[in-house]
Amino acid sequence: MPISVPVGVPAPRLFRRFRLAGLLFGAVSLLTACGSEPAETTAGKPAKSAKAPAEVPAAPEAAPLHVSIFLEYSGGMKGFVPRGGADKPATEFQQRIGALITETQVSGAVAGRKYYLCENAAPREIKFDQLRNLVQGNVAQAALGTELPQMLEGILNRKNAAQEVSVVISDFIYGPEDRSAFSQLPNLIRTAIAPVSRQQLAVAVFGETSHFYGSYFPAVKTPVQKRTLSGEKVPYYVWVIGPPAQVARYAAEVFRNAPAQQAFFGLKTSTPAFAPLLTKLTDPKLKSSGGTAYAENNGLTLNPSDDPVDFSVGLNLKELPTAWQQPAFLAQHLLVRLPNGQASLLPNSVRPLTDEEQSGQPVLAPYTHVLRLRVSKLAAPTATLTLSLPAPETPGWVAAWSTANDNTPAPRTFGLDQILTGVRQSYPTPLPAVFTVQLPLKNDK
Amino acid sequence: MQTLFTSLYSALISIFQSQRPADYGLYKTDLFSLVGWSTLGVSLLLVLAFYYVFNSALRTGLFRTPHWALTLALAAGLGVFLANSLSKGHGAEASSYLGYFMVVNMLVAALWFLLLSVLLKRWSTYARTTPFVGPF
Repeated sequence: MPISVPVGVPAPRLFRRFRLAGLLFGAVSLLTACGSEPAETTAGKPAKSAKAPAEVPAAPEAAPLHVSIFLEYSGGMKGFVPRGGADKPATEFQQRIGALITETQVSGAVAGRKYYLCENAAPREIKFDQLRNLVQGNVAQAALGTELPQMLEGILNRKNAAQEVSVVISDFIYGPEDRSAFSQLPNLIRTAIAPVSRQQLAVAVFGETSHFYGSYFPAVKTPVQKRTLSGEKVPYYVWVIGPPAQVARYAAEVFRNAPAQQAFFGLKTSTPAFAPLLTKLTDPKLKSSGGTAYAENNGLTLNPSDDPVDFSVGLNLKELPTAWQQPAFLAQHLLVRLPNGQASLLPNSVRPLTDEEQSGQPVLAPYTHVLRLRVSKLAAPTATLTLSLPAPETPGWVAAWSTANDNTPAPRTFGLDQILTGVRQSYPTPLPAVFTVQLPLKNDK
Repeated sequence: MQTLFTSLYSALISIFQSQRPADYGLYKTDLFSLVGWSTLGVSLLLVLAFYYVFNSALRTGLFRTPHWALTLALAAGLGVFLANSLSKGHGAEASSYLGYFMVVNMLVAALWFLLLSVLLKRWSTYARTTPFVGPF
């Protein structure tokens, strides 16, 4: 009997086992490699989700607004606020101003609100209820009133006037005691609103005509000193004065149902969220087309030498006044500049994002609008693309609403163009841009 | 090394497709070097396993050229797999560029495997002439 005991498996069988194992291992690995959704991608996903928030620019929370509303309450304003009743429809003034003061009272965008009556040079603070009572017509006695420049001066010379939003509601009829002052109207306004010039505050002017019941005091006193109107339409205005970004915010978020006649001076928003949209887009129309374009170091690297590069950018324009958020306005006014190259805004490419798009695609969430830019030439290795919204000049309705003789009531205001010229002269020419955003470009060689 | 991998991969992929995708920045900063290193590492591990585990430490008889070729195919397959899974895991979008990246990485993995085989085979006990004799 042999003493040796076989230890383990004979060598040939060991070979075969290893060979089999090796072949199996190889086959399994190849199979997993070809699988379209390998199990290991799940392990990679936490890294992706951890990276995503860093890419979305955090929108800085705007400071809440402090608002003071001033209602000129003179004999000439009483006709806008007739005593109402169930059988008498409210005037446009009562509807619009009632809504505006209510929104100011309840809006979350407003942190502090004060209400004043301008009966003479110094505004008098009143409670919200008192102001609403006035607007609905529950007051018998109105004051004599104050001259327009003095009223504006009194409002803007308050201690905090340059830090908060002042809303002035008036018919802006200038009837000076000294008739020779008419010739200096723009200069008088400019002097009265000197803080606007010195601290570069913004002025937003909203105009509307309203039915008027009662005594109307024109600026031109001949042939008659005053008329009694019974429902003719005459204009009144709401001026919003304050730091540019706050005025923009008040106009966009509080005065949402503003009348169609609007004029803005010195309006500036804080720099809006802005970025090229390149990846993680489901809408094929938003994807870049043409030559190479990819994001790198907060900028864009592209190669327009063969084909012009088209790409979409997102903008958050929620701070702009509602009228300026319209695609037609933006398409007409937005200015694209690219020194050492050629860039343009593609026609009909500005559009607001729908709620569905914003919530469905996280990459679009920070923006309210998308637009498409085309870079067709880039001569330098690096360049900076600038997208800005130049401030529009005084709109055309101002001239149409102005008159040199308001003795016969009409939807026109005496010297409105001169009053607003005074406002316009408080700013440099051309008006500063409403916003400017920049995008560094790099040529992909 | 990142620049090396970036220029290597973008040059090879540009043979197939010259236009770079919108998420090329991700490839440039993360993916090329990550996939490059992983592919090099995996090829090295397979070479070490083939020459020093199966054909030095163990005497498995898996030293013939077909065995080596199968391991090469495994390296190439893992190259495709790594390019695909690492890229998708880091947020790259499915695109033709990613497809060509997978093809290129397959070739790169095979090349690494061949190169490392030639460099390291001579210290193997049983497979020093696999897949060919020489050059040293």
